[in-house]
Amino acid sequence: MTNPILMGAVAYDPKVVPIWDGIREYMKEAGPGMDYVLFSNYEAQVDALLSGFIDVAWNTNLAYVRAQRRTSGHCRALAMRDTDVDYCSVIVVRTDAGINTLADLRGRTLALGSRDSGHAAILPLYFLKRQDIDPQRDLKLMRFDLDVGKHGDTGASESAVLNAVASGQAEAGAVGDPFWAKALEERAVDGDKVRLLWTTPTYHHCNFTALDSIDESRTTPWVEALLKMDYNNPKHRPLLDMEGLKRWLPAQTEGYRTLFEAVEEQGIG
Amino acid sequence: MTRPITTKIKAQYYGEDLGASEGLLVAVARLLDPLAEGEALEVATENLSVPDDLRVWCRRAGHRFLNATRENGKSIILIERGFVRRTLADPPEWGVRMPRRGETVDMRDWQVGRHATIDEEAPIAGSLAPRGASIEEGAPTIEFSIRKRSDIWANAISELYEQATSSQWVGARDIPWQELAPLDEEVERAVCQIMTFLAENEYAALYVPARFIGQIHPHFTEAALFLSTVMVDEARHIEVFTKRALANGGGLGVASAATQLSLASLLEPKDFSTASFLLSVLGEGTFLDLLAFLEEHAPERATREICRRARQDETRHVRFGIAHAKYTIEADLSAARRFGSAVEARAEFLKSVSGVGALIEESLIIYSGGGMSPSSLRAGTKRVAQLYETMHANRVKRLAAAGFNSDQADHMSRLHTPNFM
Ligand SMILES: [Fe+2]
Ligand SMILES: [Fe+2]
Repeated sequence: MTNPILMGAVAYDPKVVPIWDGIREYMKEAGPGMDYVLFSNYEAQVDALLSGFIDVAWNTNLAYVRAQRRTSGHCRALAMRDTDVDYCSVIVVRTDAGINTLADLRGRTLALGSRDSGHAAILPLYFLKRQDIDPQRDLKLMRFDLDVGKHGDTGASESAVLNAVASGQAEAGAVGDPFWAKALEERAVDGDKVRLLWTTPTYHHCNFTALDSIDESRTTPWVEALLKMDYNNPKHRPLLDMEGLKRWLPAQTEGYRTLFEAVEEQGIG
Repeated sequence: MTRPITTKIKAQYYGEDLGASEGLLVAVARLLDPLAEGEALEVATENLSVPDDLRVWCRRAGHRFLNATRENGKSIILIERGFVRRTLADPPEWGVRMPRRGETVDMRDWQVGRHATIDEEAPIAGSLAPRGASIEEGAPTIEFSIRKRSDIWANAISELYEQATSSQWVGARDIPWQELAPLDEEVERAVCQIMTFLAENEYAALYVPARFIGQIHPHFTEAALFLSTVMVDEARHIEVFTKRALANGGGLGVASAATQLSLASLLEPKDFSTASFLLSVLGEGTFLDLLAFLEEHAPERATREICRRARQDETRHVRFGIAHAKYTIEADLSAARRFGSAVEARAEFLKSVSGVGALIEESLIIYSGGGMSPSSLRAGTKRVAQLYETMHANRVKRLAAAGFNSDQADHMSRLHTPNFM
């Protein structure tokens, strides 16, 4: 295969290597081939995309929004995980805090994940504001700025949020819905201490971002091969499990509108 | 919201106020498993967080959260099963029931359900799982070199296994050690040398199956399990023979070069059937007569009990050896020739070994005669000569039972190592 895709991913966890080694191997067998490089943070990855060092960036929603803003919209989303489509944030509360509606949050402490996490900080604040909860006026914010540069991928700040609520340091907190679902499934949530109060409207999370100048004859076979990965295939399943999806989907982009607005509103740039 | 009419509700669960992470997800996941893609589970709950918790969980689990409606204090949630198979395996069995044998459940009756199918050749891809379990796709495969039934099987193997497990005994408890008292020194010396010799042989009996057991495809689980009991038996034999040598003022004797050569040659065969034939049919078979002899002439009760209990265990090992040889020969006549040439080759290899060795033979004479007085030695000498004849006669019988004619049996028995095992 001539000129296969060079993809960038951020090394938020050691499992990133087996994931992309596995997909690289799969792509070799499927035809289009690919290679990948790892970055320690999304800002460097976006720089590499814009400078042409990589063809495709496996981006968080914030990285995608930043790339679009820096290119005045000349980026293209190629594909995403099924789990990236209806992503939402979850507001959890201390079960005994007497918080039964969003209005009850006023005057309370809200724990947030990393300031560059779309799902555990930026979008929860954005959506609360649209429910008439003004973060500046109505809430005491407790921020856990952990692993900044990785846009909340590591889950470290979400763990800190959940712990803060469970231990009573904070009365409420914001996490991404996959983190909450995983905690429920692992029975790591003590319902007497923490419970779900509210889920935000849905939005999109990660996607594969390219510059819109890229030749489609290079990206199309690669995306097609990606969409053919099958969760019911025992060879693909471990890779998809590690990456947190059941199947890859063609990219949708309408769900990024809220983050564009949030970034503007919160002056994150 | 109203229910989509097209959705088929195939399962229902009322979760009361149970929280998602308090166990509700267990029921939800298990009830969704048997549904087809597109069929739905209806969950009723009084827990206020559960509707959102389930919606969020459905995304993670690959199911579709259709809707949640409130009806008199309860939420009714509809979940449509997604395309994902949680486990890439055939569904588990259901409705299998072993017959009871009186009060108990016996291995002889466990050929039921998928477990009942015993193939002549196990699949190349092996798993550490019971025969008939539904193996998930993507599980690693393990290669086992013993995967032909005739290479390991014996009729009545389940019965032998049940016998073995119900006849286990404890070396420290079941031997009347408290009765041990000083013996005539020559007799004690003989006992110690014989015990040393017995223990040496038991090491061979332990290490031969040990070399093969890890190669047995778990499809032939009865064989692997039975040989495990053999190994435990042999461990106990080593234990009690060694204890007896050390317990009464004597100590361990000599491990002679000839005995060691004879035993080392038992580790040579690369296939289980040949190794088992040499060890169990010929060696352990001969040992049955030796142990009966030692039991009969034992100078005290502890030694007698040791020999009696070891002989009972060995009887089982020999039964297996004969049954396996028979099974193998019936499956493939050339196996008989293979065993024959193994016996010839071993005899050739052991040409330098002309007898059981002076130390052992003398010890047997003193032991069975009861000391070193002239009358004792006269009696012992006769008894040992008689023992050799008994050993030969019984070996011929065992070989006949395994499927050899009388000429072959006589020839093979005469070629058998003078070292007994
Ligand atoms: Fe033994
Ligand atoms: Fe034995």
